[in-house]
Amino acid sequence: MFGLPDELTPSFLARLEKLRIRTRQQYAGMGRGMHLSPKRGSSLEFSDFRQYSPGDDFRYIDWGLYGRTDKLYIKLFQEEEDLLTYVFVDASASMGFPAGDRKFESAIMTALSVAYVALASGDRVMMRILGGTGAALNPSFVYGQHRIVELARRMQGLKPGGQFDFATALAHELVAIRRVGKVFIISDFLMLLNSITRGLGLFTAASMDLTAVQILGGREINGQGLDGDLEIVDSESGERLRVSIGERERTQYRETMMRLTREIKSFCFKRGLHYALYTTDTDFQKFFLRAASDLGLAH
Amino acid sequence: MGLLYPGALIFLALVPVLVLAYLAKERPSRVTVSSVLAFRALRGFRRERFGGRPRLDWMFFVEALILMLAVLALAGPFIWRSSNPIAVVIDNSASMQALTPAGKSRFDIAREKLDKALSAEDGDGEISIYVTAPQPRRVAPPYKSLAEARFELARIKPIDAPNDQTTLSSFLSNLAESRVSKVIFAGANALEAPVPPRIHAIAVGDAVANLAIGSFTLRREALGAEALHASLTVANFSPETHTLEIVLRGDGKEIARAKEPLAARETGVLEFQALPPARVYEAHLSPADALPLDNVAYAVGGSIKAVSILFISPTPADAAGLNAIPGVAVTARTPDAYTPDDLATVDLAIFEYATPKELPAVNAMIVMPPPGDAVFGLNVTPAAQVAIAGWGKTGTLTDSVNFRLLSLRGGEYFGTHPWMSEVIAGDGGALMLKGERGGHRFVATGFNPFPYLGKRNLPMSVLTLNAISYLAGLGGSSIENRTGQPWLVPAGVESVILPSGKKIASKPGTLFTEVSEQGVYEMIGPGTARTPRAVNLDDLTVSDLASTPALKIESASAGSSPAPVMEKSSLSDYLLAALIALIALEAVIVYRRRHRMAEAL
Repeated sequence: MFGLPDELTPSFLARLEKLRIRTRQQYAGMGRGMHLSPKRGSSLEFSDFRQYSPGDDFRYIDWGLYGRTDKLYIKLFQEEEDLLTYVFVDASASMGFPAGDRKFESAIMTALSVAYVALASGDRVMMRILGGTGAALNPSFVYGQHRIVELARRMQGLKPGGQFDFATALAHELVAIRRVGKVFIISDFLMLLNSITRGLGLFTAASMDLTAVQILGGREINGQGLDGDLEIVDSESGERLRVSIGERERTQYRETMMRLTREIKSFCFKRGLHYALYTTDTDFQKFFLRAASDLGLAH
Repeated sequence: MGLLYPGALIFLALVPVLVLAYLAKERPSRVTVSSVLAFRALRGFRRERFGGRPRLDWMFFVEALILMLAVLALAGPFIWRSSNPIAVVIDNSASMQALTPAGKSRFDIAREKLDKALSAEDGDGEISIYVTAPQPRRVAPPYKSLAEARFELARIKPIDAPNDQTTLSSFLSNLAESRVSKVIFAGANALEAPVPPRIHAIAVGDAVANLAIGSFTLRREALGAEALHASLTVANFSPETHTLEIVLRGDGKEIARAKEPLAARETGVLEFQALPPARVYEAHLSPADALPLDNVAYAVGGSIKAVSILFISPTPADAAGLNAIPGVAVTARTPDAYTPDDLATVDLAIFEYATPKELPAVNAMIVMPPPGDAVFGLNVTPAAQVAIAGWGKTGTLTDSVNFRLLSLRGGEYFGTHPWMSEVIAGDGGALMLKGERGGHRFVATGFNPFPYLGKRNLPMSVLTLNAISYLAGLGGSSIENRTGQPWLVPAGVESVILPSGKKIASKPGTLFTEVSEQGVYEMIGPGTARTPRAVNLDDLTVSDLASTPALKIESASAGSSPAPVMEKSSLSDYLLAALIALIALEAVIVYRRRHRMAEAL
């Protein structure tokens, strides 16, 4: 529908509209919105007092305090602004394997769902693709619920491919975006933990609220279909390993995969980051709605 | 259990080769994955690990099993198992056509009794059906069921040919020694004791009174004469005196009639003089009796047919005398004027003092060929005076020739010939040779019988007529052709029509074996030329239905109880089925594995 993935049905989108992005910090936005901003503003949320200066709006003078102290104080309220939401989608070659698992398509669906939640809440969204082939997305914010269709169309022609260093790529993006906000990084995170921690650490160091969404294939995580003497080729580095895979080896492989995801999750918890794991053999809508909290979303 | 070809087990040595192939094979499937991170924890190829064992998954064992089964199938494994094969032999000879007092033929009774005997059998073994005439043979591959065997039995009919008793005895003896549990023989002949234990004989040859015509021969009244002389042998195989009446018909019209009183078991000869020319002669005997087959006999006046002769000679006048022979038309030609195309319209050729440049396409006589003949390869030695040293006592060419009165002057002797046999021998070599080549008959003489002088030189004239008759390929007597006895297809005959009307293609020079019917066979030559040939039962031993001799079966196992029949039952079929199933299983496994891999990628 309108170029949106099939999974993003009208009913699902309606449920997404009831969600909003939750942040652990307050970020300055670019316009009025629903998120408390560090700026003083006109919301109902009391923030502080300061002494009255000529020119201040009489309506905010705290007359009770004046009665007690004979001094004029102005009540300060917090500003409510929109949230700058950055969605980074890993489009490196590894997202294209195993082809049957549709990892990249799942990553796109996740990105569009997050973007829709943000746009439906009146937030601004900047979608960025790391690696891949196809038309690059402009590093600009989109605003307005209807722009989800435009985002979806832009992402249609994208294909996973190529290789990049995760930390370096995120560092470049961080320099480019300059304004802090909420960050979603969607990737399979099948890389050295060191590279992941360095990449994610850049955003935490920049005081950005970050959610890591790990997308893994159902067959990939189970090693399904891998049997016998195999020459395993890394989709990105081209590195080759020759292994004999039987039931025991498959079990060992599964355990290793689970350990890798546990390590990423553990890192995220320690750093106060949100983390969610989606395996493509499960229902996407159920995953997204049930893992909303893990994704840093709130009802 | 045993093996037919144990040597094939040597191929089991291929199993270690298969193992080595598995060990040596360096063709792991290449799989591209998102990341090799998780695979690094796995150990490498097992066979590459120090002290590791090869990866022999169950696909390997399937393939090893396929290989071993294939080797075993090659070795021809079999098991011994007891079986109950039955051989049914039914006498289908001419005497089985005889009607019994009950109104049924001997054959029908034999078939009924066989049917009953078969019904009493277990029916768990194969049933082979054999007939006895003209030669014992199996009618079809063994039948698995009693119903099939009964159906086949119902289709068999007696023929006009007699049994070859010696062959039949030997056949039954061999059959009793073969791997059958029982031989059921139903025929006119009883079996002489001791009967081999495996043979169960059903004799239906009860004595039946019968009158019969034996031989029916035609001869010329005189050499070269048109009129024929017929001789018929008749017999009374009944316990009473009968007056036998013979009616002779020529081409369907009665031409002679005679009566002959014969006492019980007496044989007589009836002579018929000066019979008018006819194409086919039939002799009918009355009164009617139990076996109509031998109450009729046939003969053909083959020698009366006009014989067309091409006479090639530097002295064509020598052919003049031949024209005096009734039914002979001669065309004379000098060697210079002769072309092979001239043979297209003649029955035979005579080359006098000459030889053709290629093998003639008709039967031919070569008279005193000049030396250096390349076509027949006759090695001639001229002699001023040739003398006869010997001759074949029997044979068409020398029949009725008085060699003592045959005077020869100058001529030539023949050396040993590769394919022609000596008919008349001389002091210095052969004087007359005969042989067949390319479906044609050839006669070579080292003396010159021409000009034909008729009665003025009777021995030479008889010899000449014999030669012409031999080369014309046409018999004048019915005695040569009996039912069940194959004959040589004469030159120029392309097909033969049986008395039943069935037409059979034939090739000159080959044996014609469809001779089970009594009657007149029509030999079809080029165009519409037809030559009749009479084929008769002509066997009074068969016609003697009153006394059917018992068959003596020589058998090593006579008197002893039959040993159980064990037969080899091959297991190769089962092994092949298992092989196919395993190969299919492997194909399914490979397909599913690849499919899974493709899905995984």
